[in-house]
Amino acid sequence: MSRLAGGLVDRSQTLNFTFDGKRYQGHPGDTLASALLANGVRMMGRSFKYHRPRGVLSAGSEEPNALVELRSGARQEPNTRATVAELFEGLVARSQNRWPSLGFDALAVNDLLSPFFTAGFYYKTFMWPKAFWEKLYEPAIRKAAGLGSLSMQADPDAYDKGFLHCDLLVIGGGPAGLAAALTAARSSARVILADEDFRLGGRLLAETETLEEAPATDWISALEAEFESLPNVRVMRRTTVFGVFDHGIYGAVERVSDHLAEPGDKVRQTLWRVTAKRAILAAGATERPIAFADNDRPGIMLAGAMRTYANRWAACPSKTVAVFTNNDDGHRTARDLAAKGVHVAAVIDARREAIASWGDYRVIAGGMVTGSRGRLGLTAIEVSANGRREWFECGALGVSGGWNPNVHLTSHHCGRPVWNETLQAFLPGADGPAGLFAAGAAAGHFSTAQTLRSGAEAAQRALNELAIVAALPILPQPEESGYGVAPIFHVPGKKRAWVDFQNDVTVKDIKIAHAENMRAVEHLKRYTTLGMATDQGKTANVTGLAVMAELTGKSIPETGTTIFRPPYTPVTISVLGGGDTGPHFRPRRLTPTHCWAEAQGAVFVETGQWMRAEYFPRQGETHWRQSVDRETKAVRSAVGLCDVSTLGKVDVQGADAGEFLNRLYSNVIDTLKVDRVRYGLMLREDGFAYDDGTCARLAEDHYVVTTTTANAGLVYRNMEFARQCLWPELDAQIISTTDAWAQIAVAGPKSRVLLDRIVDGFDLSNDAFPFMACAELTVCGGLRARLFRISFSGELAYELAVPARFGQALMERLMETGADLGVMPYGVEALSVLRVEKGHVGGSELNGQSTAAMLGLGKMVSQKKDAIGAVMSRREGLAGDMRRLVGLQPVERAGKVVAGSHLFTKGAPQNLDTDQGWITSACYSPHVGSMIGLGFLEKGDQRIGEVIVAANPVEGESESLRIVPAHFVDPEGARLRD
Amino acid sequence: MTDLNAFTALAAAQPRRAAFAALDIRETPELALASLARRRGSTKPAPFALHLPEPGRWVAGQGVAAFWVSPDQWMIEAEGRAEENFAADLKQASPDCTVTEQTDGWTVFEIVSRSGAAPIEALLSKLVNIDVANFGPGSATRTGLEDISCFVIRRSKTHVAVLGARSFAGSLWHALETAAQRVRENATSSSNP
Repeated sequence: MSRLAGGLVDRSQTLNFTFDGKRYQGHPGDTLASALLANGVRMMGRSFKYHRPRGVLSAGSEEPNALVELRSGARQEPNTRATVAELFEGLVARSQNRWPSLGFDALAVNDLLSPFFTAGFYYKTFMWPKAFWEKLYEPAIRKAAGLGSLSMQADPDAYDKGFLHCDLLVIGGGPAGLAAALTAARSSARVILADEDFRLGGRLLAETETLEEAPATDWISALEAEFESLPNVRVMRRTTVFGVFDHGIYGAVERVSDHLAEPGDKVRQTLWRVTAKRAILAAGATERPIAFADNDRPGIMLAGAMRTYANRWAACPSKTVAVFTNNDDGHRTARDLAAKGVHVAAVIDARREAIASWGDYRVIAGGMVTGSRGRLGLTAIEVSANGRREWFECGALGVSGGWNPNVHLTSHHCGRPVWNETLQAFLPGADGPAGLFAAGAAAGHFSTAQTLRSGAEAAQRALNELAIVAALPILPQPEESGYGVAPIFHVPGKKRAWVDFQNDVTVKDIKIAHAENMRAVEHLKRYTTLGMATDQGKTANVTGLAVMAELTGKSIPETGTTIFRPPYTPVTISVLGGGDTGPHFRPRRLTPTHCWAEAQGAVFVETGQWMRAEYFPRQGETHWRQSVDRETKAVRSAVGLCDVSTLGKVDVQGADAGEFLNRLYSNVIDTLKVDRVRYGLMLREDGFAYDDGTCARLAEDHYVVTTTTANAGLVYRNMEFARQCLWPELDAQIISTTDAWAQIAVAGPKSRVLLDRIVDGFDLSNDAFPFMACAELTVCGGLRARLFRISFSGELAYELAVPARFGQALMERLMETGADLGVMPYGVEALSVLRVEKGHVGGSELNGQSTAAMLGLGKMVSQKKDAIGAVMSRREGLAGDMRRLVGLQPVERAGKVVAGSHLFTKGAPQNLDTDQGWITSACYSPHVGSMIGLGFLEKGDQRIGEVIVAANPVEGESESLRIVPAHFVDPEGARLRD
Repeated sequence: MTDLNAFTALAAAQPRRAAFAALDIRETPELALASLARRRGSTKPAPFALHLPEPGRWVAGQGVAAFWVSPDQWMIEAEGRAEENFAADLKQASPDCTVTEQTDGWTVFEIVSRSGAAPIEALLSKLVNIDVANFGPGSATRTGLEDISCFVIRRSKTHVAVLGARSFAGSLWHALETAAQRVRENATSSSNP
């Protein structure tokens, strides 16, 4: 390990790590990149397309080159930027996108074939034969060009999420951010200061500039201590604010334990959603390179980064360096490195009126770097000046093409940055996210004095809008420093000069895009892939635009800019998921009898958020159909039990409850007698049917309505909207009772006998409690219950509701009590078979495309009153739809009925013009002894008996089906009235 | 009296409890709930001497409490009366109002801190998008928690209640337990401003 003097690493401790299996040492405070440089490692990766050797370009999160795989086993993470990977004891890192080794990469042959891989080559080559693209070309290209590899193991780490609220969110902990946070901290404002680095200070950590005649770290430490003492301030290090979302919500990822070998009990990362009344964007600026021939060799890096490695990490990639610059900042690098004993071979200043040397090194005014040498790392650069070419030996070159303010977050609401000619950079526009103020270098203030002032003033302005008085603090006042950038973006030449390092886009590629008329910035971007890598072109976009502007003869702002999208830097999918995986990926709703069903060995199915018993397999049953057939037959012949608690239930009360429901349901409700139930149909505003259910009248002013399981939330929401907004004059109060009641369907010819054994002296005879009756009663010795005589299966059936806490016990009681009757639980699969056999519509028919008439329920749209959707249901487009619900049965008993198949007249061609409808539901019917189906068929009600064709082109199948009435069981409805 | 056994929303005979570093979470199936809504033209009721609160608020009386749920509608809580027909008592106390039994519709988790307000506020900041600084004792709101619609009530500085639909009990418990565990892990981290 070779270190310069100074630096902010803790030399009292040593950390061991490996890179490509080789052991190295670093110190706390190092990043992987700084530690590698300190160990003399310049080459850290291979480029995306050409597999060219690459080293670090930057010292921050904008890094395009030094992407590595971190850790091993299940924790292996590809595409990690070595420049922000905090070093820890035992860190294992590997280079990626190379084979067999970083030093010798067989795929570097791509570099020799580069003339074939220029801009747009995807679009020009691999065009023939057509079938080869998907099967050969694309897989081969994907394998050859790429980034790191996945472990293919489940992520073992935990992730967390949370919400924060504040008056002022300060994004960035550099001089502007610190000054902003300080200003706000001393007011009454609640402040959050978030910085992506593990140490506050930003650019102050990279410079030798003193504040108040002391190292800048002294000032930073004092501020940190003050922030720590204030209850209104939260400092969040290792936290990247990656996006601005609606209503002042900022997304941030806190890397809680990425700097540890293993998280232990901690989560790895936390996703924070920060609601901030105002925010300061103090994200600094990113230096951009100048493109020149072979400018991508390891050792060629941004001049500001070279200075950062030297000043913060006491590391330098070589004992001899040079600097190529078009602004004063390059001289700062040369000065600082020279002061640390590094030999500065020359500063090549592209400006003709270059400033004098700031130290003991040669300045070449008006010079350009026109070439470089070194197979795996820089050994020399070619400099052209005043018509002469000269080679300089050096192991590192710092390049500064100027600084781009980090405007990214100001673009997240489609805000467009604005070009500043003096700074030769885009600055935040005025149309960025509301409440977000840019400050410091992000706003184009590049000297430390300016950034400090700008941060404090921005905070004061932001808080002023919140009527919070904040005084400007006394800030250090370092000397103003110059910048003097010249508009030089690339060095003309014939050899390849890289603009976008991560996607291997060169000046030549941009020229090709120009020549092929891909000149609009969005075309340029897509044709060349400029700016489309994981770094979003942080170091490339402006240079790319400048080259295109030069080619078109337009100015840069005329050429345009691309705006940035979230995330600012890559965010793991795991943290966006917030840590919820497997069964906890989303919440589940369990029925009151769930545990009982589990104990019976039920197989469950997701229906929305609900887990419902699909069927209850028994010993010896090897196929689900055996279980479902058995359950279906039990209901038809004896009695079955099914938990139907998932149906939506809404309690409606009030003097106008009947009128309220009249306006919601297409059919008349308020004529319903007390203690009776009526089937109801609801329409959408556009006239299509959207939900059905029952409506029970428990008292003159009290109804209970049920909805389908799927639409329970939607119907309730619509009812609430209607009550509060459409008809506030009605005296109607509603509340959901879906979860309050466990409701069990007791269906089958022996259901009355079974129920008679548990009701407390209630007369269940047909006369006393006929079909569509309802009652409040007690069961099982005094338990409050509601009983509805309704049937989905077509059999004599009831639904019994008790307070949910008793649901499981009731189910157990019914099973015990009905054992001699052959009682059997049935799941939603049998439920579905039963309803298809009976011709009742379900979710497949109520799919948002069907009208009441199509469902055979046209008469339920009352002409005597108005209701939501009633008028629209009569419009020509809907009323003219002649498709009707029919039953379908295979002509051959063994024939198949496949849901989704389209129906065609026998002998007719099969295309969209001749399409007659489709099959909505299909099942095997134990009752019929064959498969059956329901479907919508053109004039189906007039075609009973006709044989049609059901085409299933996906499977290449076709079946002859006979059209029958949609009631396969008891079409007269005698059973349910028995 | 029925001989059927009641089960809690977490499908057990006894309510679930869990203790963490500074937090206790307890399922409270014994809490009776009923919704109370004004009918058109009726005066604002005051059942059991409760002064029914404004939006976003919760008030407590003697063994009963109330929080606002929608315009002219409140949820009334009664401690330890889940086995009774509390809705009937409430209807008797407010005969001009609409009353709906709600006890079994909800799973209620009471969360108490043994170490001041900070653990409670840290827990809330992990779970719900509520500005805890403006959610002091007496606050109540309906909000999303892990995609579950819940009522959150700040009963005191060190006590919050979370009410979710009964069928979500398992998922809700998991969310609370996981977050409470993490509050323990991060007990030393700085508090929310």
